[in-house]
Amino acid sequence: MKISKQAQREAREVFRSCLVKGLLDEDRARQAVNLLVERKPRGYVQILSRLHRLVQLDVAQRTVHIASAVDLAPAQKTAIQARLAARYGTALEVFYATQPALIGGLRIQVGSDLYDGTVKARLDNLQQSF
Amino acid sequence: MGELFQTLGIQWTKLIPQLFNFGIVLLVLWKFAYKPVFAMLDARQKKIAESVANADKIQAELARTEAARLKILTDAGDLANKIIAEARAAAARLSEVETQKAVTAAEQILIRAREAGAQERAATLAALKREVGRLVVQTSMTVTGKILTPVDQNRLAEETQKQIV
Repeated sequence: MKISKQAQREAREVFRSCLVKGLLDEDRARQAVNLLVERKPRGYVQILSRLHRLVQLDVAQRTVHIASAVDLAPAQKTAIQARLAARYGTALEVFYATQPALIGGLRIQVGSDLYDGTVKARLDNLQQSF
Repeated sequence: MGELFQTLGIQWTKLIPQLFNFGIVLLVLWKFAYKPVFAMLDARQKKIAESVANADKIQAELARTEAARLKILTDAGDLANKIIAEARAAAARLSEVETQKAVTAAEQILIRAREAGAQERAATLAALKREVGRLVVQTSMTVTGKILTPVDQNRLAEETQKQIV
């Protein structure tokens, strides 16, 4: 779907109105969507589509996937979350996973940012260099 | 005089009528014989003269025609020689060009063959490197997982954490 600049602008305004202290408020977001559906302003489908995309990006930016070769100790998890909070803020949803195929190290993905210090990634890079 | 005529047997009385008769005969002959014959002879003479003149003209025309024929033959010969020379020159040029083309094509084929050989060699080397790399990585994966201690695991985890700044 092609979204006009006007719809993009209005979607950004709606999205900003849903933020509370820089964080997305789910209740506000629901209210905004209901209002849009009820009033059906001009180009509301495009606005909803763009708003959906902005919410998706925001959720992804605040979702952290941490994969490790072995189970992490609670102290390690705390230390990692502290670093992430310092970098991305406190409202992060963190998911842990244990993947022995990584051999060693951590892989942390926050939105589109990826921190990969796993042995497997290093070996993959080595293989790529060949 | 009279004696002479008598001796010769000439008698005026006979001579005068004979002369008269002769004149008449002469007149008749002149009118009906000599004159047409002379006219016919004149006409024939004219015809002969005309024929001779025509023959001369024809001879001259023939000579001119012969000269023209010889000139045409000479020109044709010269033209033919010129065309043959030009054709030979063109053939020589064409042969030179074709030879040059063949040489260039052969050089191109050689260059392409060398390039193809180099590419094939590079591809083989790259494939070999990839295979060696794959084996190295596979071996490392198999061995590394077994030799990493908990301390190593912690150190690796901390290295990743330090990337978050």
